[in-house]
Amino acid sequence: MTTAAAIKLRPESHKKATGSRQPVHPGLFTALGVVFLAIMLFPIYWMVNASLQPSGNTLTAGLFPTNPHFGGYETAISQQGRNLVTSLIVSVGTVLFSLAIAAPAAYALAQFRFRWINVALLVILVSQMIPGIVIANALYAAYNDLGLLNSIPGLILADATHAIPFAILILRAFMIGIPPSIVEAARVDGAGLVRAFFSIVVPISRNSLITAGLFSFLFSWSDFLFALTLTTTQDVRPVTLGIYQYLGSEVSNWSAVMATAVLSSLPAIVLLLIAQKYIAAGATGGAVK
Amino acid sequence: MNTRKKITAVLAMAAVVPLTFTACGSGGGGGATSGEDVKTLTVLDSYNNEPDKSILQAAIDKCAAQVGVTIERTTVPGKDRMQTVLQRSSSRTLPDVLMLDNPEVKDVAATGALAPLGGYGVDTAPFAGNSLDAVTHEGEIYGLPLPADTLGLFYNADLLAAAGVEPPKTWDELKAAAAKLTVGDQYGLAFSAAATYEGAWQFLPFMWTNGGDETKLDTPEVKEALQLYVDLVNSGSASRSVVNWTQADVKDQFLAGKAAMMINGPWQIPALAQAPQVKWDTVQIPVNKPGQTPTAPLGGMVWTVPMTGDEAKQKKAAEFVECTGSEDSQMALGKARHTVPVRADLHEAYVKELPTMEAFTEQVENAKARTGKLGAEWPKAGTTIYTAVQLALTGQASVEDAFSRASAG
Amino acid sequence: MPTIQRSALQPIAVPQTRNTLSARKRFSQENLMKILFVVPAGLYIALFFGYPVVKNITMSLQEYTTRTFFTGEAPWVGFENYVTVFSSNLFSPALLNTALFTIGSIAGQFAIGLALASFFKRRFPLSNFLRSMLLLPWLLPLIVGSATWRSILDQDSGILNRFLEAIGVIQDPVPWLTSPAVALTAVVLVNIWVGIPFNVTILYGGLQDIPDELYEAAALDGATGWKAFRHITWPNLQPVVSVVLVLGVVYTIKVLDIILGLTNGGPANATQTLAVRSYQESFIDFEFGVGAAYSNVLILISLLFAIIYLRANRRAVDE
Repeated sequence: MTTAAAIKLRPESHKKATGSRQPVHPGLFTALGVVFLAIMLFPIYWMVNASLQPSGNTLTAGLFPTNPHFGGYETAISQQGRNLVTSLIVSVGTVLFSLAIAAPAAYALAQFRFRWINVALLVILVSQMIPGIVIANALYAAYNDLGLLNSIPGLILADATHAIPFAILILRAFMIGIPPSIVEAARVDGAGLVRAFFSIVVPISRNSLITAGLFSFLFSWSDFLFALTLTTTQDVRPVTLGIYQYLGSEVSNWSAVMATAVLSSLPAIVLLLIAQKYIAAGATGGAVK
Repeated sequence: MNTRKKITAVLAMAAVVPLTFTACGSGGGGGATSGEDVKTLTVLDSYNNEPDKSILQAAIDKCAAQVGVTIERTTVPGKDRMQTVLQRSSSRTLPDVLMLDNPEVKDVAATGALAPLGGYGVDTAPFAGNSLDAVTHEGEIYGLPLPADTLGLFYNADLLAAAGVEPPKTWDELKAAAAKLTVGDQYGLAFSAAATYEGAWQFLPFMWTNGGDETKLDTPEVKEALQLYVDLVNSGSASRSVVNWTQADVKDQFLAGKAAMMINGPWQIPALAQAPQVKWDTVQIPVNKPGQTPTAPLGGMVWTVPMTGDEAKQKKAAEFVECTGSEDSQMALGKARHTVPVRADLHEAYVKELPTMEAFTEQVENAKARTGKLGAEWPKAGTTIYTAVQLALTGQASVEDAFSRASAG
Repeated sequence: MPTIQRSALQPIAVPQTRNTLSARKRFSQENLMKILFVVPAGLYIALFFGYPVVKNITMSLQEYTTRTFFTGEAPWVGFENYVTVFSSNLFSPALLNTALFTIGSIAGQFAIGLALASFFKRRFPLSNFLRSMLLLPWLLPLIVGSATWRSILDQDSGILNRFLEAIGVIQDPVPWLTSPAVALTAVVLVNIWVGIPFNVTILYGGLQDIPDELYEAAALDGATGWKAFRHITWPNLQPVVSVVLVLGVVYTIKVLDIILGLTNGGPANATQTLAVRSYQESFIDFEFGVGAAYSNVLILISLLFAIIYLRANRRAVDE
């Protein structure tokens, strides 16, 4: 806590607005960043360590897996490949669908003066409080009748229940800052509302769209409840559910669980890094333009 | 005021839309095909992880061939089983054959969702009486048990031999042995006293063996059992972490050499077999006073036939379930999973083939069903038991007050 | 070239909402277009949340048990379930724990999140890479995360106690998850860990949208460091801060998996929260009506926060 307070002040006190001359070598910041990251990611390291122990736990483990055991990884690779692809498709689909629905709504709630905006925001906030299981129960019955069980669109629609309210609120918070004058300027040039939205609002909101998209991805990626409720066969099976293949009610294969978790996060990390590249590019791009 | 009106309008609209579209399709399910030949049966079970999943698949395939159907099988994780069953109940999509945990059967049968097996002439006579207690509701039998499990005392033979300790038979011996076996970072005994039914299930053998009764928890017999727990933990012979350990954690502690004895069940045997450096054996749960019979809870799954509305399929499903109760099926599954066939006529042959299961087989013969007396009231008693255990072990309540405090919550 | 940038020079938290529309009246086609922006979201929310909300409310007024799922019969019991909730001995401890858990988690996540976001806002080698890697914990299913934390926090052989003993901070192992006095703190710590990536990422996005020119202008007036933070960063970050906080409350108040994974509400009910009660009433005791009543109490509490958020929001807009 005390360190946190200290950090909060320090970077500000050398605000780069004062210019690019920094009294501290940037490498020091990198080193500090690595330390923060190491603390934050220690539990993940510990999980990897566990996954390399023959017992799948760290009861007798040292700090390093001196005698690594890759059985868990073999199991995971041989069984989870297809589930991984399903997870990726569903998560990316959720991102696209959620942003498509949420972005226009967020813009409208941020910039148009509807009288009922507060009611809408209230509804959106409350919708996040409904227990997932109540939604899942309702969806199961509806999907069963509509033939959406065991389908990728079905999972995307369901996972978007996490993502859409969230994305609307987050995007709105960012879009409040868009000065109406720039949209007005485009309108004066004859652009319609829709065209102005796509040619002005979307590009300048790129950062926030990526942030919202990122979390939509993560919500969907980590969903277990909808995967469990809305799939009844092996055909469409996200990797979170695949992990349960190793978690019995009585006996669990923790090294396979951990190995699956580690392996399945790899493609997602790559996606994250690409997305973050975009954020960085967007930021500097804006400054250069 | 205006806004309030609008909220109501939004909610009302929201309520109507999905209702209408669920209503359209609800006639679709369960088209009765009676009269025609039944070719497929759907099965829902919770043996979702390996190796159990494949072992059960083999048993299912055998009976499917015998009955002449193909099986569409779905597995769900055990802890989500009831949730799935309830969902399927309300949308009328229950499977033809459903696996339940034995304490769940009475509750589900009471809802009217299960077909009594007597109506299909399923022969339940060879099954041991105690194994049918959990599946009998208002005189009708609603399921056939799979081979059963229970709890016993595992001990690390090398550690006991090195300390010159005999496997304990009484509580006093247990306390003495545990104390003697507690050295360095090794505890004498590990058990689960978690804030879940697992914690309650582990307490039952001590409570029942001492004559305690789940319908009346505030008795000296029950409190003596709790006192045993408290003594073991307060003397340092068992870790304070027992309040947070699952039975799988307990097994890990035992395998890591951090516990010389543990209370656990035979389903851990395959995991123990993977660590051949640990030499272990089992005895029955120790008794408080000589002459008491070690009485543990009966664990294990049950095959049931849900009311799907398709009489022909239900009949076929009952046939399938009856097959799983056959000598062959019980023996094969019992051997593969280290669970005890619930047919008393098989026990001698079973122990002959699996000598490590001797103690557990006897323990199963004397075991009791958790819902035998309480039926649907068992969950409440179970919650009271694990809460009382937690209150006493963490020093939040005395042994004397623990049960009354827990039942008030 | 310059439209985006010039506009960005205007301060953000005091937005120019003396808006376009206020005076002039546009023709109705335009208004229709505007409505169309929100129609898809409105429809989606009505379809996917409308029924569950109503269901949750009606359920809490019924005797809703396992039987109901099969027979569909659920007798109305009025407010009996709520009476059960409020008269339960566990209600007030659970309410208190919920408050402590939420306040502790939010305070920790937000403070550390803002600190790290400001830290990463400086551009230094690998800063983007390091910041993206912070999100890693979110890629792991919570069940795996909480299992790992359970082993880290184990009293006897957990790495945390071994580490703290090695560096001499503690003499005796801390009973993280096994003592009723400590368990809630431990659960809060884990939840802070879970929440940091979320706070960092959103707050970082907010910081990035504050144009550098504002700082440059302020620097000319001699406002740097803490002053710049107070007068530029904080006011401009306001909309993002308030949404992060309100979402934080809404998400934290219903946290379930982490608590179930770490302690199951134990030891001795020390980590019982309203969300855990709701889950246990519904899926352990199969009293779905009581469970729904608990979750409606939670919804009411977050409604309160939502209203505070909207109030603050409107004040910012009206200024």
